[in-house]
Amino acid sequence: MSKPKVGVFGLAGCGGCQLEILNLEDELIDFICAVDIVHFTEAITEHSDTYDIALIEGSVSTKHDLERLEHIASVAKIIIAIGACSSTGGLNCLKNLYGTEKAKELVYGDKKDWIDAIDTKPIDAYVKVDYHARGCPPTRAEIVDIVKSLIMGKVPEIPDYPVCIECKRLGNICVYETGGTCMGPVARAGCNARCPSANSGCEACRGPVDDPNINAQKDLLDRYGLTVEDIMEGFNLYNACKKIEQKNK
Amino acid sequence: MLYKILDKKDFKDFVNNLISAYEVTAPKKISQALHDFFPIKSYEEMDLSYKRTTLPPAKKMLFPSNEALASYTVGNNIEVKSLNESKEQLLFGVGAWDINGMNFLDRIFSTDFIDENYMEKRKKLKVIGIDAEPSDANFASSVGSEFAKEGFDLFLSDIGDKYFVRIGTAAGAEIASKFGDFLDASDVDYSAYDRQMDLYKNKFNVNVNLDNFFENFEIVYGKKDLWEKLAKSCFSCGSCNLVCPTCFCFNVRDDIKIDLAGGIKSRQWDSCMISNYGLVAGGHNFRPDEANRLKQRYRCKLKTFVEKFGQYSCVGCGRCVEACLAKINIYEDINAVKEEVSI
Ligand code: SF4
Ligand code: SF4
Repeated sequence: MSKPKVGVFGLAGCGGCQLEILNLEDELIDFICAVDIVHFTEAITEHSDTYDIALIEGSVSTKHDLERLEHIASVAKIIIAIGACSSTGGLNCLKNLYGTEKAKELVYGDKKDWIDAIDTKPIDAYVKVDYHARGCPPTRAEIVDIVKSLIMGKVPEIPDYPVCIECKRLGNICVYETGGTCMGPVARAGCNARCPSANSGCEACRGPVDDPNINAQKDLLDRYGLTVEDIMEGFNLYNACKKIEQKNK
Repeated sequence: MLYKILDKKDFKDFVNNLISAYEVTAPKKISQALHDFFPIKSYEEMDLSYKRTTLPPAKKMLFPSNEALASYTVGNNIEVKSLNESKEQLLFGVGAWDINGMNFLDRIFSTDFIDENYMEKRKKLKVIGIDAEPSDANFASSVGSEFAKEGFDLFLSDIGDKYFVRIGTAAGAEIASKFGDFLDASDVDYSAYDRQMDLYKNKFNVNVNLDNFFENFEIVYGKKDLWEKLAKSCFSCGSCNLVCPTCFCFNVRDDIKIDLAGGIKSRQWDSCMISNYGLVAGGHNFRPDEANRLKQRYRCKLKTFVEKFGQYSCVGCGRCVEACLAKINIYEDINAVKEEVSI
C-alpha cells in the first residue's frame, strides 16, 4: 500500500487515544509523512470522506455512535480499533452493569429521554475490525507499528501472551509477592507491564489473552484471600461487556 | 586448579579493590524475600546472604531480555551493521547452579552456531562464585549442579573465619594476586574445606530421584490425562521459562522506521509455554494446549540435552517453581511421572 489515506475518528471515549497519536513526538512528522491524514477529529478541521484506513477510538454508546461507525465502515477498507473502549467496550461498559435505562435516569433525571444512549459495546460488535491497538491508553508504538505493517504489507505482531512475560523480561518483583493482586496472568501484554512496573496490579486494560485460564486465575485470587466480588472487580473495570456477554450465554 | 585462602578480614578490601577495577555485578536485597543481581558501587550495597533471586544473573548479563542485533538501511544503498555491545564485567557472588546454568548457555551459544553477541560478552566476563544459600525450592544437588567444576575464575567457600578459594583460570590467578591478600592453603584448610563441602550438600532441602526418568518419560508421554492434570492450572504465562538460567529461546523482531528507510532487528526472551510459540504459517499450532507445552518443556529440560550434550538442561535452581503462580512444580511432576509408571 503506498501512502494510504487515513481517518482518525472518535466515538464514546475520552479522546486520549487520539492524543496519543499527537503525542508521538519524535515520530509524529514521519508518521504524517508516511500517510495522508484526511480526517482527525481531535487535530484537524479539514474533513474528507475518502479514506483507506480508519483508526477508531471509543465505544458505541449511542445510536448516533452506531450510525457514524456504520458510515465509517462503509468507506474504510481497513478498520483499526484503538484503545480499550473501542476494543473491549472499556470503562463505558460499567453503565451496562447498572442497566442503561437506570444509568440514564441517574445521570440525566427527567431529561433522560433527550439522550439516545444504548447498551455500550465495542466496535467489533457491529463491524469487522481488522486490528486492535488495545490498552488504556494504547501504546503509541503499537499504533504506529500496525499502520507501518499495513504500508509494508506485513501482518502486525500483536502480543497474545500474558503481561507476566513482560514483567519477567524487566526483572520486576511480582505484585503477588508484595501482597497485591494482579490480572497479569490472564491479561494481554503489549504495554511493557506498565502498571506492575509501578508496583500496581494489572487491571487488564488490553483485555484478556485469547485463551485465558480463568479458573486458574480464580484459584490464584482465592489463594490470596479474595472474594468472588474482588475477582469480578478485576475484570469489570475494562471488561464488563465481555462479562455480561458470558453471563448471558 | 589452584587453591588459596582468603582471610575474612581481608574480604572487604578485596571486594572494594574489584569494584575499583571492574564493573561488579553482585546480589542486592530488593524485598523482604528477594534479591537480584545489579551493578554495585560499594561493598555495602552487596548482600551475600541471599536465597532467592528473581533472575539468573549470568543470563541477564550475557543474553539480555531485549537486545539489538543489527541495524540496516534499505533502498538504493542497502547497509547492514551488526550491533554488539559488550564490556569488561565481573559477576560476584554467584552460586554453583547458576554457574552451571551459564556453562550450559556457553555451550548452546557456541555449538552449531557461534552467537557473537553472547560470546563477546562471555569472553569479557569474569566470574567469582560462592557457596550460596540454596532457596527452599532449590534441588540442584539432585541434578548434580550444586558444585561447579568450571566456568568461574575464582570460587569461594566459607570455612569459618576464612574462605577456601578455588582458582579456575589464569585470569582468576591474576585477580587473586592483584586485588587480594591470598595465602597458600594448609592441610588444616583442606580438611576444613572437605568438611564444609559435606555440610553444604545437606543444605538442599529438596531431593528428587531422576533414576529411570529418561525411560519413564517415554512411557507416560502419550498419557493425555496425566499431562492435562499436571497442566490444568497453567496460565501459559512463560514465567517459568524466562526466569530459567538455561532457557535460551528468543524471538527476533523487526522495528522498521516509519519512513521505511531502515530499521533495527532485536531479540527478546521467548517462551515455549505461551500459546503462539508453536504457531506456524497457515495458522497451524503444533503445541496447541497447556498439556502439550508443559511436557515439551520437561522434555527439553530433562531429556533433550541428555541426548545432545550428556547433561540435563535443568540445574535445579528452583526459580520456575517460585515464579509459577499456578504452583506447577517441576520436581513434584518428576515424581508424578515416576508414580504414573509404577501404577
Ligand atoms: S506482577 Fe502481575 S504481570 Fe507481573 S509477574 Fe506478577 S502476576 Fe504477572
Ligand atoms: S507453568 Fe506456571 S510459570 Fe510456566 S507458563 Fe504455566 S503458569 Fe506460567
